[in-house]
Amino acid sequence: MGSLEGIFSGVQLAFSFQGILFVFLGVMAGTLIGMMPGLGPISAIAIMIPLTYNMDPPIALVLMAGVYYGAVFGGSTSSILLNAPGISGTVATSFDGYPMAQRGEAGKALAIAAISSFVGGTISVILLMLFAPMLSSIAIVFGPPEYFALMVLGLTAISSLADGSTIKALISAVVGMMAVTIGIDTQTGTTRFTFGNPNLLEGIDFLVVALGLFALAEVCALIINRKQTTGKNDSIGSLKLSKSDFKDMSGPMGRQSFLGFILGILPGAGATIASFIGYITEKKITKKPEEFGKGAVRGVSAPETANNAATSGAFVPLLSLGIPGSGTTAVLLGALLVMDIQPGPLLMTDQPELFWGVIVSMYIGNMFLLILNLPLIPYIAKILSIPRPMLVSLVIMFSMIGVYSISFNVFDLYLLLIFGALGYIMRLLKFPPAPFILAFILGGMMEESFRQAMTMSNNDITIFFTQPIALGMLIVGFLSFIVPILQSLRQKNKNAVE
Amino acid sequence: MLKPIHRKVSLVLIALAVFYLYLAFQLQSFGNGPIGTDTMPKALGFLLILLSVLLFFTKDKETEEEKKKRHIPKDDVIKILGVLVITFGYIFFLERLGFILVSFLFIYSCSLFLGYQKHIANLIVSFVFPTVLYSVFTILLGINLPSGVIPF
Repeated sequence: MGSLEGIFSGVQLAFSFQGILFVFLGVMAGTLIGMMPGLGPISAIAIMIPLTYNMDPPIALVLMAGVYYGAVFGGSTSSILLNAPGISGTVATSFDGYPMAQRGEAGKALAIAAISSFVGGTISVILLMLFAPMLSSIAIVFGPPEYFALMVLGLTAISSLADGSTIKALISAVVGMMAVTIGIDTQTGTTRFTFGNPNLLEGIDFLVVALGLFALAEVCALIINRKQTTGKNDSIGSLKLSKSDFKDMSGPMGRQSFLGFILGILPGAGATIASFIGYITEKKITKKPEEFGKGAVRGVSAPETANNAATSGAFVPLLSLGIPGSGTTAVLLGALLVMDIQPGPLLMTDQPELFWGVIVSMYIGNMFLLILNLPLIPYIAKILSIPRPMLVSLVIMFSMIGVYSISFNVFDLYLLLIFGALGYIMRLLKFPPAPFILAFILGGMMEESFRQAMTMSNNDITIFFTQPIALGMLIVGFLSFIVPILQSLRQKNKNAVE
Repeated sequence: MLKPIHRKVSLVLIALAVFYLYLAFQLQSFGNGPIGTDTMPKALGFLLILLSVLLFFTKDKETEEEKKKRHIPKDDVIKILGVLVITFGYIFFLERLGFILVSFLFIYSCSLFLGYQKHIANLIVSFVFPTVLYSVFTILLGINLPSGVIPF
């Protein structure tokens, strides 16, 4: 099937009644969940997974993608209104969004955020359409050694780019990979680390890990902040923007759509880094940097454009290589695997309607975000006044039932609690959870492609060093692993000398 | 010497790695060639030891403020443990009493325990949310949640 036909069937899917309905529901649900303090796209997608079990896979993916960018947008709403970014990707939005809201111009800030998100989202979807097929055709030459190398690269990249200590991020990744070795080894049928417990034979479900490490760990933080009151957003001012506002926005929107998209493709970078870099570059470019931090239009527009553009960028490696570059796309990959969709280079040729359907539906989803959320924002903002105690109870119940509805096994619920505790302890000790979940999802695939590569080469490990692409990626991966460690050791020596 | 928290953490991680390695060496390796069931676990175990040792020797620049952040007031610890106990109860009774009833009790008691005083609103939410969810799961999605003592 030619790609034109593929695009056509994708358009048909996206514009079908179901397609439009579910992208709408996804965007709405994502916005609502993303607004809740602490609940970001990862939790939003994880919570939605049980709902997609009996759905048609393309429709389910349309829904999930909607939840993803809806949650990114929702996060900016709580950043602006409360100075409480739901996720790290919208922290930069609060720098200028919140001062603007304090001036009584919350409506304007939200409108800027919505329009910038729309532009960033739409331009980057066009780029996604152009880039993903290109990457797919390169990816077909990828064999097991290349895949193994790519996964190593992805893991080390996310660890070195994580905020804080690289060593801690790497430890988090290694422990995540250890967790995935529990259960039956698919290649030999041997059981590993199950302690004779039959419940562990099939391994730990990734939803247990995702909901535990993210949603339940966040619940602990919510319990501590339970007395914080949130609702004081009765008047948010006018949503209208002036001509000069639009003029101010056009520069950042144009530049950050491209920059954000490129950063989104890179493994490990994602929406957070894109939004910060977007904010910083605009501050450097503008003639009035002193306005930044005090409610500048550009200061809201830049990070919002960039984080939404990065969201589409993150779909490029996921759909075309089948390799997630971030925690969120890792959870999304897990969701796809649950539905028996294996993303990768073959996805575009085998299931063109799914591939293009998702991309086309992103246009519709971004449109919905704009036309529905703009007028609805004052009402949606009311959700922020859900009392914290109630929010805690509801999030726990949703997580429990999410896990139960896939395994029907109470044992998994106890495991969920254990991972919740682990997630909270990791947070207290500043171990980032994203490398853990990424390693958990990639670990199985990594081991498999490693073994396949070794079988290919008759157990000759040099296969990783004679294939130029694999070798190149391993070298970059090794450098991003070793350089930060050397840096921290050198710093230690320097301190010792002083 | 063990004063900085990251050193304690590092020792805990080394202990975990040693335990994991001990189990990994118990694994029987099937198949031909050097890549067996135990290859990856062994590599991971040694990697974790290496990283933990590196963590032990890193200079941790923890500020006073960050230390304070890690300290949880006693009152909050009690609340977290309390919620944990209530959640245990939820899991324990889920299949015995059924989803709607247990969820109703859970939301009501958990919210109350955390200091939510509006009883009527609490009752309404505790009733409506589980009922709607139950209907969505069983009727729309065809996923049967435990019905328990409520006979439908």
